Amino acid sequence: MDYSKQIQDIAAKLFADGKIDVFVGYRMNSFDDNQIPVVITDPKEVAELVFTEKSVFNLTNYLKADHTRNKRVGLVVKGCDSRSLNLLLTESQVKREKLYIIGIACEGVVDDKGQKMQNCVECIVPDAVVFDEMLGTPKGIRDYIVNADIIELAGKGLVERREYFEQIFENCIRCNACRHSCPLCYCAKCCIDQETATIYNGSNTSSSAFHALMTWSLHLAGRCVDCRNCEKACPSHLPLHLLHKQNEKVIYDNFQNHLAGVEEGDRGAFYKYSLKDPDDFIL
Amino acid sequence: MARVGVFVCFCGANIADFVDVPTVVEEAKKIREVKFAIDYKYMCSDPGQQMIRDAIVQHRLTSIVVAACSPRMHEKTFRKALSDAGMNPYLLEVANIREHSSWVHQKDKKAATDKAGDLVRMAVAKSIANEQLHEISVPVTKRALVIGGGIAGIQAALDIADARIPVTLVERSPSIGGRMAQLDETFPTLDCSQCILTPKMVDVASHPYIELIPYSEVIELDGFVGNYKAKIRKKASYVNFKSCTGCGACWQKCPVKVPNEYNMGIDKRKAIYTPFPQAVPNKPVIDAEHCTYLLKGKCGICAKVCEKGSIDYTMQDEIIEREIGAVVVATGYGMWDAKPYEEYGVGRYKDIINSLEFERMVSSNGPTGGVPMRPSDGKIPKTVVFIKCVGSRDKAKGIEFCSKICCMYTAKHAILLHHKVHDSRAYIFYMDIRAAGKGYEEFVNRAQVETGAVYLRGRVSKIYQKGDKLMVRGEDAQIGQEVEVEADLVVLATAVIPDKGNPALARLLGISYDKYGYLSEAHPKLRPVETAKAGIFLAGCTQAPKDIPETVAQASACAAKVCGLFAGDTMKKDPMVSTVSREFCSGCQNCVKVCPYQAIVTEDIPLGHGSKEMRTVAKINEGVCQGCGSCVAICRSMAINLAGFTDPQIINEIVAI
Repeated sequence: MDYSKQIQDIAAKLFADGKIDVFVGYRMNSFDDNQIPVVITDPKEVAELVFTEKSVFNLTNYLKADHTRNKRVGLVVKGCDSRSLNLLLTESQVKREKLYIIGIACEGVVDDKGQKMQNCVECIVPDAVVFDEMLGTPKGIRDYIVNADIIELAGKGLVERREYFEQIFENCIRCNACRHSCPLCYCAKCCIDQETATIYNGSNTSSSAFHALMTWSLHLAGRCVDCRNCEKACPSHLPLHLLHKQNEKVIYDNFQNHLAGVEEGDRGAFYKYSLKDPDDFIL
Repeated sequence: MARVGVFVCFCGANIADFVDVPTVVEEAKKIREVKFAIDYKYMCSDPGQQMIRDAIVQHRLTSIVVAACSPRMHEKTFRKALSDAGMNPYLLEVANIREHSSWVHQKDKKAATDKAGDLVRMAVAKSIANEQLHEISVPVTKRALVIGGGIAGIQAALDIADARIPVTLVERSPSIGGRMAQLDETFPTLDCSQCILTPKMVDVASHPYIELIPYSEVIELDGFVGNYKAKIRKKASYVNFKSCTGCGACWQKCPVKVPNEYNMGIDKRKAIYTPFPQAVPNKPVIDAEHCTYLLKGKCGICAKVCEKGSIDYTMQDEIIEREIGAVVVATGYGMWDAKPYEEYGVGRYKDIINSLEFERMVSSNGPTGGVPMRPSDGKIPKTVVFIKCVGSRDKAKGIEFCSKICCMYTAKHAILLHHKVHDSRAYIFYMDIRAAGKGYEEFVNRAQVETGAVYLRGRVSKIYQKGDKLMVRGEDAQIGQEVEVEADLVVLATAVIPDKGNPALARLLGISYDKYGYLSEAHPKLRPVETAKAGIFLAGCTQAPKDIPETVAQASACAAKVCGLFAGDTMKKDPMVSTVSREFCSGCQNCVKVCPYQAIVTEDIPLGHGSKEMRTVAKINEGVCQGCGSCVAICRSMAINLAGFTDPQIINEIVAI
């Protein structure tokens, strides 16, 4: 999977036609063979753009930054990235007419060690669902796979599960990198930082981290697209995907196989009302 | 430092029997912020309220907790006590230790007492974070919209207009009058329906405060109580009402014949028509579905014969917008289709009609000139069987409810039949006779004694044809035998059902309706005229089946409600509404989606101070917001707070237990 040349050509043409002000893509890291996101405003820098199986980050995160706000943006999205883009569009964070989207029919990306990412192994929607131009051959929607760690987690009792997460979150240093790296965390001031939200305040005690991360995961429940930007950003290497994948499974089972952002106009499972929604929680 | 006063009520034995009230007081005294705590037999009584007022002054209290019954009962009472003592009434918290504790834990006094203590602790903690709130003033547009021009709509419009409040009356058909205009005589006094109705119709047309928009429908309602905006689609009548004199030349010459709705389809009307001679406005309209000219472009006879040149085939539907403050819904009723009663042969035998068809036949301006006739051969029927409860009170085939008016109008029909055909006899199959009302029982007796109507208690099991007669087989439960009546005509008192358009209208107005399609009142006993949406009221059969006196009474009640609403230039509203912190709002608009009252809109504000770039944030319309809190729950940014239920208040409550 190498679309570097195509993307360079498209970006150059977009700049030449005056269709975009900035282009968000990937370039090679200066000191190793990994890639980092790059925001290009100068057409001369187009040659730096690359796209291979090392293009791991979800670039829609950069749409909430100041240098892309209210600008015409060209953007590369994989399947998962495009789903978060769909949510950003419905949640009025970006305007479709300001975007030129290069969709990728993704074959999966790899981690630092060259191994295929776990979320790519389990990937359900590899093709970009919203795009102006598609690169690669679309593969269609795949079956929903539940990984062993989620099955193990679901098998635990409530108390056990809580203890498990409390233990994991003990290593959280409350740096909020997960939040900053998440494309769907765009609030002007996160509820966790608000003065009135006393339960999250204080230091990086495990209790405050537990509440903060639980709240965060619930705010992403039914919206998380499993891009794993958060996990890549976490300096403590916390298995944050466990929270999200667990929620995703519960929602997939209970909300008519809902997958966040796959359909245009999707706001997440909790914002969609259907007569078929289960109401077995009503006594 | 907060100084909280706690007042625990015995509620006679209601609370004290199951909750140890003095213990609750002692528990309350242990809370640091509680500076005064006391119990009393009835806190809501005047001496009880006086205790609160005195304590506020004596102990310089900053917030009050009353542990008593549900806030729905006496929150207002205690708020008033606070404001009488010079305190902001919203510094009150009610701990509901009756419904939430004593009534539900009657078997365990200790548990009930403990829970009451917890509830008091929560209320105290919440009250510490209470803020002074002030009632919201909302301006009022003093114009009422009445939907439906039957007797309910007419009465409501007249009563409101008589209070010098402008009214817009919207009627779907070409003339006002509704069902009552179709009736012959009315029970229990047998005065002529038209004679008592038409003066009111004329009043509506000539009233300076009533704007009558016939042949039109409400298609949109936006806004909130006191400030609604209605869109009304005026259907093209193809007749210029200004120049038309109502001479009738057009409909006399019109060659197209269409079943006449006014006469329940018994005879025909023309494609250009006035529904009935006393119609208001007395101007014809062209039925676009049947007019040959409008369909095929040929004919044009009405235009040729019209001396005033009032026919305008190019007329288009018109959208009229009105700003209004209140709505009265009076869409009336329809008749249930008795098709499911196959054993009666409904649809197979021509001589089975429903009561409204019979009503038209015996009506002097009806299709048969006031003489009942068999639809099959036009003969005058001598033996008429009336069957009550066809569809009503029948869970299996029809509808569960009682249509209420059929007992009375069937008695009336028996009397009318006797008046029109002297040698006739009425047989009435009934389940019960429900004649509760002034003069109603006497009226039924009159039908039985004067006209010799035979009342047979029992259901009809079968109707079949024998020669030109209909054999009605049923049971007379009083003698326990099967009876068979050889009838010339069978009249079914079919169930009264709500107007078919009710669900759509309810959705359009944002009010609720029940499983039958009747619009729902706010409270079945204490608020039978209001809907759950402030400023929208119900009159007549749109809410439930009812007779004319009740309908008129309800219509007048609506008028009183509207006048009360419009009494001041502004309306007062509880301050428990949501507010958006703009700096926290991320503009995701999920709140806009979940708001059931359409109270949230968006606005663009500068990105930063003096910035030219804009960002979108939510904005709540205080007038519409009902304080349900859906937006608060959905807001991830915690940018929305509900006054009286702010995050610090709720968190305090949780922390207290």
